[in-house]
Order: sequence, then structure tokens, then C-alpha cells
Amino acid sequence: MPHSRSLAEAASTAIVLAPLAYTDRTLPNGLRVLLVEDHRTPTVAINVGYRVGGKDDPPGRSGFAHLFEHLMFKGTANTAPETMDRLTEDVGGYNNAFTSEDLTNYYEVVPSNYLETLLWAEADRLAALNITDAHFITEREVVIGEYDQRILAEPYGMLDELVNREAYTTHPYGRGVIGNPEHLHAATLADVVQFHATYYRPDNAVLVVVGDLDPVATNAWIDTYFGAIVTPPGSVPRIRVVEPEQRAEHTYTYTAANVPLAAVDYAYHIPAANHPDVPALDVAETILGAGKSSRLYQALVYGTQLATTAYASADLREGPGLFGFRAIVSKEKTVAEVRAALDAEIERMTREPVLESELERAKTQIASSYVRSRQTYNGIALQLVRATVERGDPSAVNDDLPRYRSVTAEDVLRVARTYFTAANRTVVEYLPQ
Amino acid sequence: MSSLHLPPAPSAPHAAILPIPFERVLPNGLHVIAFQQRTGPKALGVPLIAAQLIVRGGGSSEGDAAAGLSQLTATLLTQGTTTRTAFEIAQAIDALGARLDAHSGYDAQVVSVSATTPVFERAFALMAEVLRFPAFAQAEVERVRTKASGDLGLIYSNPSSLARLVANRVAYADTPYGHPLSGTVQSLATLTREHVTHFHSRWFRPDNAVLVIGGDLAPDAAFALAERTLGDWYAPAQALVPAAAFEPPTARARIVAIDKPDAGRTAVLVGRTAIARHAPEYAAAIVAAALLSGYSGRLNQEIRVKRGLSYGAGASLAARRSPGLFIASTLVDHTKAAEATAVILATLADVAQAHVSAAERAPRVATITGGFYRGIETIDGIASTLGELALYGLPLADLGAYVPRIEAVTPAQIQHVVRSKMAADDFVVLVGDAKKFSDALDSHACIIGASDLDLNALI
Repeated sequence: MPHSRSLAEAASTAIVLAPLAYTDRTLPNGLRVLLVEDHRTPTVAINVGYRVGGKDDPPGRSGFAHLFEHLMFKGTANTAPETMDRLTEDVGGYNNAFTSEDLTNYYEVVPSNYLETLLWAEADRLAALNITDAHFITEREVVIGEYDQRILAEPYGMLDELVNREAYTTHPYGRGVIGNPEHLHAATLADVVQFHATYYRPDNAVLVVVGDLDPVATNAWIDTYFGAIVTPPGSVPRIRVVEPEQRAEHTYTYTAANVPLAAVDYAYHIPAANHPDVPALDVAETILGAGKSSRLYQALVYGTQLATTAYASADLREGPGLFGFRAIVSKEKTVAEVRAALDAEIERMTREPVLESELERAKTQIASSYVRSRQTYNGIALQLVRATVERGDPSAVNDDLPRYRSVTAEDVLRVARTYFTAANRTVVEYLPQ
Repeated sequence: MSSLHLPPAPSAPHAAILPIPFERVLPNGLHVIAFQQRTGPKALGVPLIAAQLIVRGGGSSEGDAAAGLSQLTATLLTQGTTTRTAFEIAQAIDALGARLDAHSGYDAQVVSVSATTPVFERAFALMAEVLRFPAFAQAEVERVRTKASGDLGLIYSNPSSLARLVANRVAYADTPYGHPLSGTVQSLATLTREHVTHFHSRWFRPDNAVLVIGGDLAPDAAFALAERTLGDWYAPAQALVPAAAFEPPTARARIVAIDKPDAGRTAVLVGRTAIARHAPEYAAAIVAAALLSGYSGRLNQEIRVKRGLSYGAGASLAARRSPGLFIASTLVDHTKAAEATAVILATLADVAQAHVSAAERAPRVATITGGFYRGIETIDGIASTLGELALYGLPLADLGAYVPRIEAVTPAQIQHVVRSKMAADDFVVLVGDAKKFSDALDSHACIIGASDLDLNALI
């Protein structure tokens, strides 16, 4: 077979991604505005990220931030419910939103000649949200239905909730994002008004527009529609709780009727998304758990068939995160066998440096998936929102590749020894009834 | 009320500057299409390259008795070569952060790969290896065939997907699009390694393939890479017998109901064979299908918004090498199946009878053009779009002509294509609990028990 030459020689050189050029300004009312101009296609992506998420749910109202996200589609003083769908789907675009622990992000992708219309619509639901009791009650049922479907009906849907609950003793991350039906039922329309007033204000949001835009016209529209929104007095409440250091391993066992095969989850506390140890933790995650070449797949799934799936995940947040290991135990095998194999892989990570080949592969995989996410306007917009909210600075997007390049095998060994300790670990065994 | 209380109107649509494709035929007959992503201060490039190899002759070339062969062959390509096991291929692709896939449609089998610029040539070499030197190991053939057979249960349990398979048979009878691409339990049971190797060697030859390659590389570099990697791929001595287009049977109004008492709801499909991808009415037909589809489309307005019969309804148009299927569909309570059928037929007849207004047409056209531009935001998307043009023998300049052509469709053209290709002599396929709707059906309706349904035979 013919062999590759020019490009193959370049394989050892790192992937070069041009820095993302964006404008960054803050309106007098506190709204942060980031624009990226690109004219590959006549399309724009608009993202409005609010610094509020599951961790900010009011006491006794777990799941409220997510319920509120649904209500943002239910009409304003000027528009009927589902107007956002009509303004996007009917002009050749789409829209959606999601809620995480730290962030509620709303987005639209539309033909670029509709940019002004959508800027108006996003400003309108920030300024003039108007929810009726009937819409509130209907949507509350929809969200409880989502809980039933995603958490109760899915075989392992409850496991993430259990891991968060046991791993965080103090921090509200322990409550998860979806909440629980009891708290959702307790929520009232008065809570909605209060929540909107508290968190949906210009100085708690970042507006990102990416794509086929004219910066002068776009900024003028933003000034007109968003600039007119008044920021209320006072500041946005912030979670100041510090999760105390865990000093001993905890193990919990749960059983559920719809668990087809036993699952094991280990959760280790790790620092926040902007901590300098994060790139090495991401590399560890990839070496352990990404794809068929990963250590966990090889050790637990491929040859031994101890587990049907096995993976690692560095769950990064604005506040302290979790590094998870999870395996689903094969029918003929035991939880103890799978735990022994997981323990051996974790011990190996803390005993000896990862191989150079593994390090290179992990960096290539991380860089490749990052590059792919840069392909679409909405992908770029989301990266900017996340960098601003979760890492405190949009310029973090231009550090995303370089910070992985410098990770060494020694770095990975050091973070493994720092965080993968028994005392820092919460174990959840999730068993069939 | 100030103007701030109403959404501002859109401005004029912005012109698009699309990538320019280049093409060349290598000495071995391989048709190569190359494109480069636009880069510059106001066009962000990404260091990513994608390639697709399209091999003419997919499921339409396998024949009824070997239904499922093209998908089986495509799936097996990545499951081992003469020098690598399936696991080694997966590992190699993983290590490059690349993606490698193969699948089959009725008109072609497609192998695609993408990777970042520095490692693309290595990923491309892997793609070349799987398409030229697949092992088709007996154990893998057995494994993939068994899995394909097992997956059929899931397809048949869903009334909407089963209805589509039935619709194919009803519309195409024993012509090349009539059998299911996924095969049947009976056809899959007869397929052997010899079938697969023969199908592969018949169609996977450079003079029967189109390679699209583009992204972060100059067209000259793309042509050179194609030549380096696939230049020594020679066509066998025997002449290629190309996949041929065919005329589907004449459309004929009839009702086929599959009695599936365990279905949660009844799938309602109304349709007929419509047009080929290269047909001059293609743009009008796409606009007509869009007019009927989406939340604000006619079908959803009639079925969901006005009558609450279903959560949604829409239409689809498969434009292929030979005339593809137009289908209008919904999913309703069993007792509403006859009513929903009547509403769909009446909605189609309405569009066939009266011109649609500009106010109604404009947003439906926007859903097509907006979707087209979002589709070519990614390098994979551009490659797929160019690949489709090449597969159907259309000029590559159609990439730029597509949107203007869609926007130029007139009300008279929409009306004409609906009248002649969508709303005349339509079949109806119902899959659901027939005892709850059969009384309301025409006495000529053909009702078949789900357990008696034989997709190997004519319906």
C-alpha cells in the first residue's frame, strides 16, 4: 500500500487552531456582549447565558431553575406562548435551551436577516416575561413528566442523582438539576416572579452572537433592545458555601426495580473548572475512559468482560467538581470483581506515569473533539458562554488547546495522586432489587 | 404601543459565498471532487478535513432475495481488513481522534472519514484500507448478520417504521426500491460471506465511485492525496455493469391496513412514487413538501392545531436516482385513523386545487434555505451535499444554484407538482389496532394481520 508522506510527517506537530477573535463589551446595565463575525454561511447563532442553575434553586424548590427555563417559552407581555418557536422554526432556524448546575443557556440559530428579530425576542423575555397560572401549572406537569421519563423510567437515570447527593455533604450541587416532584409541586407562580427578578437581570447574563453579522448594526440593535432594560438595585445572590474536605471514604448501596445489571460508581472530589489541574484531569479522563483504546475498556470490557461498559468522566463546574468512574457489571460477574479491577486501574494511575503514546493519543482526542465543536456557529457561541460563566473569562476559549499541549505524564501522575485517594472517594453501588 | 412591543421585521436575506468545488477523474476512473473551506479574517477555518467515498449501486442493486446485503456489506467494511481486526481498526481510529463510518442507502454505499489536519492522511489511509481490503471474516459476517436480524424486531414493533416498510412494498412492488434495506429475517438468513464478497467486488471499483474530499486543504493537495492513496486501486478487467434507473409501477389508489393490536397508536401514511432527484420539478416538489411540513405546515395545522388528532403531522420526499416516495404521515389514536386519513387526503387536494399565497410560501421556503445553509456549516455537511450532486449526475454548480432555484418556485409550479405527483392516486397505509378503525374503511381495503405480513412477497 502506498504510504503517506507530507501530512504524515506533520502528525507529530500539534493541531493549530487560529485564536477566536471576538469583541467584548459590557452595557451600562451590566449585560456582557460578545460578538464573533464570520461569513461562511448566511446564518447566525444567538446565545443568552444566565449565571443561574440548579445550585441556585431556592430552598425547598429543587429543580426550580430548570422549571423556570421551560417557562421562558410561555409568553411575555408582548408575545403569545411558543413565540420563540414560531420566530425560529418558521424562518428556517431552530431554538432550544438547557439548564446545568451553574448555567441556564437559551439559543437560537436563524438565517442572518432575522438577527434583529431574535435579539428583540430575547430582550423581550428578559424584560417582560408574563406567565399565567394556567401555563405555569401545565409546564410544571411537563417538567415532572420529564423527571418521570429521564430519572425514574431510565434504568440508571437515578444514579447521577444519588452520586451527587452522597458526594456533596454541604454544597447545593448535591441536589442535582432536575430536582424532585415534591419540591416542584410546592413551587408557585410567586416563586416564578421572585426568581425572574432575582436572576434574570442584564448584569447576570452574557449575550453571544456568532456568524454572518455586521458588528455596527448588531451593536446598535443590542443597545436598543437590551440597553433599555433596567438592572434592579442590589446584587445577584451567589452561593458561597464551601464543600468541606472529605476525610474518609463513604460507601452507599441502593437498589431499584429497573436496574437490569448492577452498577458501581466512584466519585472523587476535584477542583473547579478554572483550576490549573483541570487539563491533566481531562487527560486522565481520556486515557482511562474514552473509546476502545482506553484503559478501562481494555481492562474491564474487552478481554475480561467483567463489565458491559466502563468509563471515566471529569465533571467540571464553576465550583468544585467530581471525577467519576462508572462500570455496569456483566451478568456473570460480581460487584467485587469489578471494583477490584477498577481499583487496580486507579492504583496504576497513581503508581506510574502514563505512557507517552497514551498521552499523545489523549491530547489528539481532546483536541479533535474541541476542533469539531468549533465547526458551527452555535458551537462557538456555546464555548464562549461556558468560558464566561464556568471559567470566569471568555478568553479561556483561546487557552483551551494550548493548556492541554503542555500536560506531561508527570502532571497526570501528580493529579492522580492528589485526587484519587480513598479518603476523597464516595462509592455508590446500585443493585437490582 | 411603541415599536419595541412588536418583533422587528427581517431584513433582506444575505447573499452566501459558497465553497467552490473542483473535480478531476484519476487515470483509474475515480471521480474526485475537492473543495477548500473559506478562510480569512472573517471566515473562521477549522483544522479539519473530511472525505466521503460514494459507491454507486446500493440496496437497489441487491434484489429482493438478498434484501439487506448492501447494509450488511457496508457495516462489515469497518469490521476487519486483511491486516487488521475490527478492534485494531477501532483503536487506530481512536488514536487519531478520527471518525470512520460506512452505511448504505438504496442508490449507493458511502464510506466517510474525518480527522484533524495533521493526522488526516493517516485516517484517510485507514479508509482506503477498509474499502479496498475488507476481510469479511466469517465470524464477523455471522455476528453482524445476527445483530441485523435481531434489530428487525425493534423496527417492526414501531408502527411508524413498519408502515414505511409496507409503503415501500405497496408503491414499488418488486422493483428495486420495493424491499426493505434492512432486509428480512428470511433474506438475512440466506446471506453468506460469498454474497458479501461478491457484492463488494462488483461495486467497489474506482470507475464506479466518487470521492469527495475537502476542508482544510487546497484542492491540488486533495487531488494529490487521492492519487497517492487510491491511484493504485485498479478496476477489475470485467466491464462495469452500472446500476440502472428504473420506472416504478404506476401509482394506484389503494388502502392497506396492517392489524397490529399491540400498537399504541395507528400510523397513517398517505403517499405515492413522485420524482427522481434530477427531475426538473425537484425544487417545486421540495417546496411543496415543506408547505405541508413543520409545526406551521398545512398538515400539522389541520391534524393537530385545528382538530387535535395527533401531536404532529408532516410530509417527506425522498428524491432518488429513480422516482422516490412522497409520504404524508401522522400517528393517531386507533379510533381516529380513518378521520386522519381523510384529513390528509383533503389537505393534499386543497393544495392541488388552489394557489398558495406568498405569505404562506415565504416561511416554508425559508425552512428549506435555512436548513440548507446550516447543513453546509460543517465540512462533513459540504462533502455530503457535493456527494449527493455527484451521485445523481447533477452539476456541482448546483451547490450555489440550489437556494435561488428554491426561492424562484412559483405557486403554479407547486400546484402542478402536487396535483400530478403528490395528490393523485395515493396509496394509504395504516398500521395499528384495525378492529378500532376497519369499519370506517372503504370495503376494498386490504387488511393483513401483523403476524401474517410477509415483506418478502408482494402486498
